Amino acid sequence: METDQREVELVGDAAVHRFARAALLAALLGAVAPVAIPLPFSPAPITLQVLFVFLAGLVLGPVWSAFSMVLYLIAGAVGVPVFAGFNAGLGVLFGQSGGYLWSYPFAAALIGLFVHRGTDVRDPANVSLPVVVTALVAATTLIYGMGSAYMSLILELNAWEAVTAGALPFIPGEIVKIAAAIAIVRSGRLSPTRVR
Amino acid sequence: MLTYVPDDTLAHRLDPRSKLAVQLGFAAAALTHTGPRAILVLSALAIGMLAAAGVSPIRAVIAARYALVILSLAPLLAALTLGPPWIETDAGLTTALASYRVLLVLLVSTAAVRSTRVRDSRAAIQRTIPGRPGHLLGIGVALLFRFLPVLRADIQTIRDAMAARLGAQRHAHERAGTIALLGLSRAFDRADRLSLALRARCFAWNPTLPPLSFSRLDIPALLLATTLLCSTLLTTIPL
Repeated sequence: METDQREVELVGDAAVHRFARAALLAALLGAVAPVAIPLPFSPAPITLQVLFVFLAGLVLGPVWSAFSMVLYLIAGAVGVPVFAGFNAGLGVLFGQSGGYLWSYPFAAALIGLFVHRGTDVRDPANVSLPVVVTALVAATTLIYGMGSAYMSLILELNAWEAVTAGALPFIPGEIVKIAAAIAIVRSGRLSPTRVR
Repeated sequence: MLTYVPDDTLAHRLDPRSKLAVQLGFAAAALTHTGPRAILVLSALAIGMLAAAGVSPIRAVIAARYALVILSLAPLLAALTLGPPWIETDAGLTTALASYRVLLVLLVSTAAVRSTRVRDSRAAIQRTIPGRPGHLLGIGVALLFRFLPVLRADIQTIRDAMAARLGAQRHAHERAGTIALLGLSRAFDRADRLSLALRARCFAWNPTLPPLSFSRLDIPALLLATTLLCSTLLTTIPL
């Protein structure tokens, strides 16, 4: 066996810290995939994955939140059972709900850019409420827009049919998730150094 | 749930990169070729790939059951119209065939999942994506695989504790918020300890990777992947 004689190039302390958080947030996104909270008067229960996409953007900033989401997608694609229903495989990313999954990195980065205004992460509790709400609504629109558009493309549905199947049933749940995310931000427990 | 099962099938002996190429080729071909003859060829290929990985088609369909709800509702939705004639058979049939092709893509990926170790996929990612991003993604996948059961247990503990305190009777947004905040704080505590452990073990940009090599068996797999991709390109790009 040949010997590799290059010098060891250590990863910087700050990068290790952010990387570990991004990796565990991606794992958390997989861990909450089976959790469903029933919602009165709605056919679709709340799943927590989109809430964690919001939290990734809010707490990790645009770069590392997008990295975390890409990691989640790649891990699912290579066979770690992180997608809804303990599923995995590249096929899920090209299947009927692939559009939602592909949108996660963009949605998390969008929230990060809105809330942190750059790559330096700041405490989301210090950001004005309208900015946080706009960021969350924009991200939700992006997720459901990409999800429905991809579904209409892949299942040869027209736009209205795709929105009926892929977005309308989830609106009540999304409002609840946006409310939960805002309550978490306002509680001041999401500081970049420590989440309590 | 279908995960890696140790075995000695043809698919198990292939390099993870060839399996990735075959899946990409198959997905591209299934999403572009819509004719009945193409669907027959794709079905035969999918069954062949499942057999090569030792997965029974029924087990693969059961693994994809969550997708089946929307895949079976979509044709109905496409067929229904507001106003006469109320039901458009052609639109429904087109969507039903599209749903079937999506199902084939899902089945083929279960064959790859069953026959590929996450460790090998991680090495494949690190060798395919160059430089630091590939390195971080490779290690990230390994960490995610390691921490997934731990964080699932954390989430379950939080939910049990909430249930014991009548948490199920609270508003949905409070329940979602509590699980999210407690889950995140536990995960980040673990991440902080992990980052200390990584630094203590000289977490480096250039570690030694497990060996991967293409064998003679990979040639037909790569040829199949190339053929499927070329067939897609020939259909989508007008010559």
